[in-house]
Amino acid sequence: MPRRLGWTFWLSAGWIGLLLLAAIFADLLPLPRYDETLAGAPQSGPSPAHPFGTDGLGRDMLSRVVYGARVSLGVGIGAVLLGLVIGAPFGLIAGYRRRAADAVIMAVNDIALAFPALVFALAVVAFAGAGLSNVLIVLGVLGVPAWTRLIRGATMAFAEREFVVAARALGARDSRILLREIVPNVALPASSYAFIGMAVAVVAEGGLAFLGLSVQAPTPTWGGLINEGRGIMETAPHIVLAPSFVMFLTVLSFNLVGDRLRALTDVRQSGLEPARPSAATPLPTGEHEVAGTLLQVADVRTHFETPRGTVRAVDGVSFTLERGRTLAVVGESGSGKSMLIRTILGLLPGAGAVSGGQVYLEGREIGDLAPAEKREILGTRFATVFQDPMTALNPVRTIGTQVMEPLRVHLGMDRKRARQEAVRLLASVGIPEPAQVLRRYPHQLSGGMRQRVTIAMALSCDPDVLFADEPTTALDVTIQDQVLRLIHRAREERDLAMILVSHDLAVVSQWADEVIVMYAGKVVERGPAAALFERTRMPYTEALLQAIPRLDDPSHHRLRVIEGRPPDPARLPPGCRFQPRCPYAGERCETEEPPLVRAETPDHLYACWFPVGTGAGIVEGTESRGR
Amino acid sequence: MILRKVIRLLVVLGVVTFLSYVMLNLLPGDPTVQILGMSATEEAREQLRQEMGLNSPLFVRYADWLGGVVTGDLGTSYITDIPVLEALVDRLPVTLELLVVAQVISLALAVPLAVAAARRAGGAIDQALTTLSFGMLSTPVFVLGVVLILVFAVHLRMLPATGWTPISVDPYWNFLSVLLPSITLAVGQLAVYSRLLRTDLIATLQEDYITLARARGLSPRRILWRHALRPSAISLITAIGLNLGGLIGGAVIIETLFGLPGIGRLIVDSIFARDYLTVQGGVVLISVGYVLVNFAVDLVYAAVDPRIRRA
Repeated sequence: MPRRLGWTFWLSAGWIGLLLLAAIFADLLPLPRYDETLAGAPQSGPSPAHPFGTDGLGRDMLSRVVYGARVSLGVGIGAVLLGLVIGAPFGLIAGYRRRAADAVIMAVNDIALAFPALVFALAVVAFAGAGLSNVLIVLGVLGVPAWTRLIRGATMAFAEREFVVAARALGARDSRILLREIVPNVALPASSYAFIGMAVAVVAEGGLAFLGLSVQAPTPTWGGLINEGRGIMETAPHIVLAPSFVMFLTVLSFNLVGDRLRALTDVRQSGLEPARPSAATPLPTGEHEVAGTLLQVADVRTHFETPRGTVRAVDGVSFTLERGRTLAVVGESGSGKSMLIRTILGLLPGAGAVSGGQVYLEGREIGDLAPAEKREILGTRFATVFQDPMTALNPVRTIGTQVMEPLRVHLGMDRKRARQEAVRLLASVGIPEPAQVLRRYPHQLSGGMRQRVTIAMALSCDPDVLFADEPTTALDVTIQDQVLRLIHRAREERDLAMILVSHDLAVVSQWADEVIVMYAGKVVERGPAAALFERTRMPYTEALLQAIPRLDDPSHHRLRVIEGRPPDPARLPPGCRFQPRCPYAGERCETEEPPLVRAETPDHLYACWFPVGTGAGIVEGTESRGR
Repeated sequence: MILRKVIRLLVVLGVVTFLSYVMLNLLPGDPTVQILGMSATEEAREQLRQEMGLNSPLFVRYADWLGGVVTGDLGTSYITDIPVLEALVDRLPVTLELLVVAQVISLALAVPLAVAAARRAGGAIDQALTTLSFGMLSTPVFVLGVVLILVFAVHLRMLPATGWTPISVDPYWNFLSVLLPSITLAVGQLAVYSRLLRTDLIATLQEDYITLARARGLSPRRILWRHALRPSAISLITAIGLNLGGLIGGAVIIETLFGLPGIGRLIVDSIFARDYLTVQGGVVLISVGYVLVNFAVDLVYAAVDPRIRRA
């Protein structure tokens, strides 16, 4: 989907175009010549006859500014073209043939950066003679390293892309690949930089002119005009302000045009909090009773507005959870499991997210609480462990600072007590020499140790609900079991309620009391673990179960996989979301979305028009894994 | 690691001084004309060239000069008869003060602005900062300087327009005289620094450890300042080092505009006077300064990011 350039782009481009035309056709404009003295009274301010006023010799300022644009734009455009013509081939070759060129480029770069460019420009222009061509050549040459760097970077990014790698593998000639595949793709960043480079060159020329080292009088230059006007600033400020203002607008326009072009390739960014908190109206919530259990999640939704349409990442999930129970959330990647956790905790990424539904802690809605109260609950009642221990700890803070922080913020401990408590916590999760570990940084610990630290942090403020989002997926197989046992032990000792997100059904069947199966943001089956595994109703759950490799499979047995791919979340199929991949799908599945209905076992729900019979054949499968 | 870095920086120094020496010497212009004037006879010129060693091969002259530099002798200006080193040392405090005050001003404003903008990327503060920084980036120093003089010196008469009071003479007047020039120099840096830091902060805010810090119920202020700022500061610190060259360029113009007797003004005057040795000395000073600052930047990296200490 093409992005819009926006009105700032067109306004800026319009100004540059206007200025360019005025500069080119300056002789045809109904203006006094730039060097015509006493075209008006000297030092007179702006008037209809002289919109920019006149200078000390009575010359028309508008005319002088317009003629000055010839030098500024000429140098700006010329220097950029010169830099491009020299720098681009170097950059293309360096980016495409990386190995040999890299060292040379780096060395040249080092030197170019250490070189006082403006001093050099001053010296060359002063010694070689101040004039248009010398200024242009010097500024053009000084721009070459930057051009080389830019083109090299852009080329490198594309030289690794599939289509270029494929073309190379197919034996296309290098020159052909460069011209056909890379140059068109590098053109956009290059054109963006061209405008920014023009801004730089215009400013540099202005600086030289200001010091009297550009095109010499009587030809006006913007920098020269500003320098001339300086002396009579007190009596006739317009003489210095008119060229200043025009120059500012021009440089701004070049920068804006360059930036808008660059922004075409940008990705959307989000900060810590949504940009406009009140703008999004929450999604409607279905009717529900407030149960007063430890945790109740009612009709929770999260949708993202994207250029491709609304993505329903979480689409109406409800459950309740009692103390001491473990609820597992299973599903393929992208089914909305992790997003469900983030929605419950209120930790959505800012950009374009809209959520709805309610979360109750002991019957109290937490969505409406003031931020400080919400943080209090997050800090002391809820705890979270994420998948990847490599990214879960702040790399620049010591383990001690990080473990002690919640103790000090939420429990108000002083440094000494917090340190003692941190040592105790680390020891309790099986970390040897905890006092030493407090002084370490995360990168000095192994993945398993880091996950133990995050678990210790999660448990530090004595929470009631533990959210564990794939807590072992990123760990070594040998460590996985230890960490799971550690979490399980903590759960038993503290009578925690736990929400365990996992795609590992073996883990789920071993630890969970209840299971929620998610597909494309929706709950498709939900129930007590035993009922759900033994009397599976939803074909998707069946497919998940069948996809587990088993020890008793014959060797060289084909891995069972779920056919097809998860649906595009912005373009969900009509009817049942699993229907395109479902072996049992009938006509009804394509038109009507199945609601969650009750199975014969209490609390077992599923969403399917054609539920899997009695689950024959799956029962033995789960049982053979030792439940 | 440190040794390799030192060697690399020494090589950079060598190449920069050699290139600038060669270029300054290859440029048209005859120093004997500057010293003896247009009317001197060719014999007199030739004799002077002999005395000054201008007839030896370029490389020999460079080696001689470099030998002097290493022992602290940058030569004596043909034009003013002042030893180059003395002239530079005399002017250095002015430029240093200008650069340091400008850096302090730009960082003191850039960091809080970037933090506020990154907190709600795309929000009102962020958009205002984006607009403002485009304005700041697009204002050439001489334009900004002129406007500031017009407003604060000519109209409000709050600050001196030009001139310099050394800190040893009167600290208060010294502060007043450095204020406008350093604000002028700081504005462009402020835009660059705040944009850089904002972008890196936003990237850091997407990290798991930030989401987890929020999940731990920590306040946005604490998360931004204590958790996100330090891991996001690397590009900013790099920019502070690399921008020194650009700052010197700005200082040349600003010292001219505000009439400050600094290194930049000395170099411009020496260029106009064809005082090769002084220009060359200035280039050496700037490159040495650049190299030292970037060496310091490397040390700061390690303080900011413990992962670098290990490498």
